[in-house]
Amino acid sequence: MPYKLFDVSKPIPERKEHTYVKHCNDPEDCIPKCNSKTIPGSMTERGCAFAGAKGVITGAIKDVAHVVHSPIGCTMYGYGSKRYPTTTELPDGSEFPVKDFNIKYIIGTDLQESDVVFGGMKKLRQAVLETNKEFPFVNAIYLYATCTTGLIGDDMDAVAKEMEEELGKPVIAFNAPGFAGSTQSKGHQIGNDTLFAKIVGTTEPPATTPYDINFIGEYNIDGDLWLLKEYFNEIGINILSTFTGDCCHNELGWMHRAKLSVVRCQRSSTYIAKMIEEKYGVPYIKTDFFSTEYCAENLRTVAKFFGLEDKAEEVIAKRMAKVGPELDFYREKLTGKKVFIFSGGPKSYHLSIPLHNELGLETTGVSSMFEHEDGFEKMKDRVKEGALVIDDPNTLELEELIEDYDIDLILGGVKEKYLVHKLGIPSLLIHSYENGPYMGFEGFLNLARDMYSAIYNPVWNILEFQETEDPDVADVTGEVAEEVEK
Amino acid sequence: MSCVNLIEKERNAIINPLKTCQPLGAMYAVTGIRRAVPLVHGSQGCSTFVRYSLSRHFREPSEIAVTSLHEDAAVFGGRRNLIEGLQNVAIRLNPSLIGVITTCSSEIIGDDIIGFIKTAKKELAEKIGEEKTEKIKIVPINTPSFVETHLKGYDNAVKALIDHIAEPSEPNEKINIIPGMVNPGDIREIKHILGLMDIEGIVLTDISDPFDSPLRPSATELKPYYPKGGTTVEEIVDSANSTGTISLTKYAGSGAVSLEKKYNVPVELGPIPIGVQNTDQFLRNLKKLTGQDVTDDILDERGLLIDSMADLSSRYLHDRTVAIYGDPEITAGMARFVGELGMVPQLVLTGASNKEFVPDIGKVAKETGVEIDTMVGGDLRQMEVYLKDNPVDLLIGSSDGRLIAKEAEIPLVRIGFPVYDRVGYHRHPIVGYNGGIHLIDLITNTVLENYYEHQHWKLQQ
Repeated sequence: MPYKLFDVSKPIPERKEHTYVKHCNDPEDCIPKCNSKTIPGSMTERGCAFAGAKGVITGAIKDVAHVVHSPIGCTMYGYGSKRYPTTTELPDGSEFPVKDFNIKYIIGTDLQESDVVFGGMKKLRQAVLETNKEFPFVNAIYLYATCTTGLIGDDMDAVAKEMEEELGKPVIAFNAPGFAGSTQSKGHQIGNDTLFAKIVGTTEPPATTPYDINFIGEYNIDGDLWLLKEYFNEIGINILSTFTGDCCHNELGWMHRAKLSVVRCQRSSTYIAKMIEEKYGVPYIKTDFFSTEYCAENLRTVAKFFGLEDKAEEVIAKRMAKVGPELDFYREKLTGKKVFIFSGGPKSYHLSIPLHNELGLETTGVSSMFEHEDGFEKMKDRVKEGALVIDDPNTLELEELIEDYDIDLILGGVKEKYLVHKLGIPSLLIHSYENGPYMGFEGFLNLARDMYSAIYNPVWNILEFQETEDPDVADVTGEVAEEVEK
Repeated sequence: MSCVNLIEKERNAIINPLKTCQPLGAMYAVTGIRRAVPLVHGSQGCSTFVRYSLSRHFREPSEIAVTSLHEDAAVFGGRRNLIEGLQNVAIRLNPSLIGVITTCSSEIIGDDIIGFIKTAKKELAEKIGEEKTEKIKIVPINTPSFVETHLKGYDNAVKALIDHIAEPSEPNEKINIIPGMVNPGDIREIKHILGLMDIEGIVLTDISDPFDSPLRPSATELKPYYPKGGTTVEEIVDSANSTGTISLTKYAGSGAVSLEKKYNVPVELGPIPIGVQNTDQFLRNLKKLTGQDVTDDILDERGLLIDSMADLSSRYLHDRTVAIYGDPEITAGMARFVGELGMVPQLVLTGASNKEFVPDIGKVAKETGVEIDTMVGGDLRQMEVYLKDNPVDLLIGSSDGRLIAKEAEIPLVRIGFPVYDRVGYHRHPIVGYNGGIHLIDLITNTVLENYYEHQHWKLQQ
């Protein structure tokens, strides 16, 4: 039977379809059921569509004011919670006056009971005007619908249009109320659709080169983008627009002028790459920059498109010389360790093979909060016989699998991290990282180092009180014992 | 001149909020009950964002279930979601109590929570039997997100728990404590004080262990994981029989008032025992309600705080200006303590719009002889702009002011919620005399680091 029902989920047998156990001979379409509604009453890791739109897609843009049309909660939770650093550099050479503006500021309409009864559009208009007064230097103002405004039916697009005319700068509404779709993935899609419909094709870049790419679905988590950008620059490839890490509003407008779209986060942003290809004929490729192998392979692919293969080889060789020896050390330490990847989406298929090939780890299983079928197919393809592939795992299932499977490290989010520790297992934050960036050559080394320090944290050897002292020296590195034997 | 100088926010929009919506307060309160599960009737963001917020502050698990409302529920109501959700939580997690916490969406949809709970119980009884079903308390907690703040949600939750569960029987000679939204370290300090006065307490609710729980796999309740500790349902039942209730915050006194009205349990509301005089008042309240004496051990602890103040205040802290921001009760308590330290509470700012805050600050102004700039219903942007023209020596408040502090080059002493960019703050009390000692050390060391270090010879004793 390729599907597994956790004991803890016996009262909700429909969960069985969501947990697949890899069997190599299974037909291709054997994957967990996914992208469907969560069973009510679960402790799910999933978020809402608002989180997908503001939290993931637009929250990384540096020169935009974000106005959340909501009771105060959604505004508070959209405030500085993602690790999306930005610079002040703008593509025309000018400087945006505030560094990390996207992390520092959030605006909310703070809807009250009377607004729920009489509508909140007046308040939204006022908030837009006040935002523009407070931050006159922003290049656009984005408005976000939430559950409340979705339910009371405020016409956000009308307010956006009216305000755009009045202020003479772009005002864009994102209609992704929290209840839309079954996961935050719906918010990603609405974010893509809205940015494509409202911005792409509306501006022209200050300059173009024959080597221009759109770097799509790269949000600069903990500085990922800045690392990858170095590689592209050294190869001679120019990132004309990033969607949306450390980017500015205007640069999204000239995405139609790139020669190639390079899609990094395939779940959250393939949508816009496709739409740009269909409308403007810019081809796109899906890529992966986790690990040295994937990073090298994908740099080669992108470089080849522009005939810059030699340059790519130089960059790869230089970086490998830099990180190779240290990676060898971690490989030796991590070989045979078992890891479970609890990711939001694509990291579950990005990481399983490189963790094995490059660091010797075994992937006991992978899961995802919001992946769709195509992502689960990749997840399944890239794990070994017997590995678990789970859609939308809940807390109880997490407990059971930690008890039943031999796991040395869990890669997950803040919601899982501390529970996992209580069960006696180390964990590592994989959504926004611990000591990142984790992408690219140097990033993979950071990841290896963080995995090593999590697994080899001396605390795991002294978890419980021992009645009698252990006569052996605690063997943390494996080296002490060998020395003694010699 | 000593008075409150109210500074109005000159805009309607909130920029960088100092408050969140009601459900968080309710989820926090329910987590403080032994083997209880908060079940949020709303979108997944309503549970996920709160779990994220609580986990990053306490660095602890925050296990919250959700009914996952989607478009169909928005149109047809969330009836099936809640009924199924309740049964799934009841059967899979075998809790002592489920707190059904509403949100903006379920309130706007107008779901009949009480009716749905009845149906769910009926269906549940058919599945697991009457007896088992009856053992699981299901408490509806209305927390419309568009009314007031997280504190109101906490207040509503505590009141709902009391109203649905407390039952009078024999007097128990215990004292009920409603701690407000404080840290594990604070509740432990309150329990320590009760211990020194030989008073038994019922903490409504006690998050001290659930949000600061030992890592001991061999002694941990698993599948489902329930953290150690928390107030038992039996204790909440028994709260109707206590000799009195002290709410450490007047902003969450509804439950206490309800106990007084229904069961004649006398009540004292606030002030939060931050600093010397507020803690003195807390002890007097305890004595008044229980008749127990303030013991020598406690007075010695008071003496240790007074000793630190005598040693440190005038030498390092006198006349230094402070801006304090956060929840109203904690902000007012800190302002008073800062005054006791000889410092100047130049600005106080709270995100809540509760008017009771102003007289509290008026009292501090009178005591300190200082005109206190006061922002009620304010936000962090207001403080940021204010500080440009009116700098202070020290900021006291949550991590959300960290970037303002950095930019303005003003040191920040972290208290309140959330603190996520430093560690350990949830463990140490700010209430009671011990909390005072912890705070004066924290404040003085911050002053030494920032205002003395460049002339290091001044730091030679």
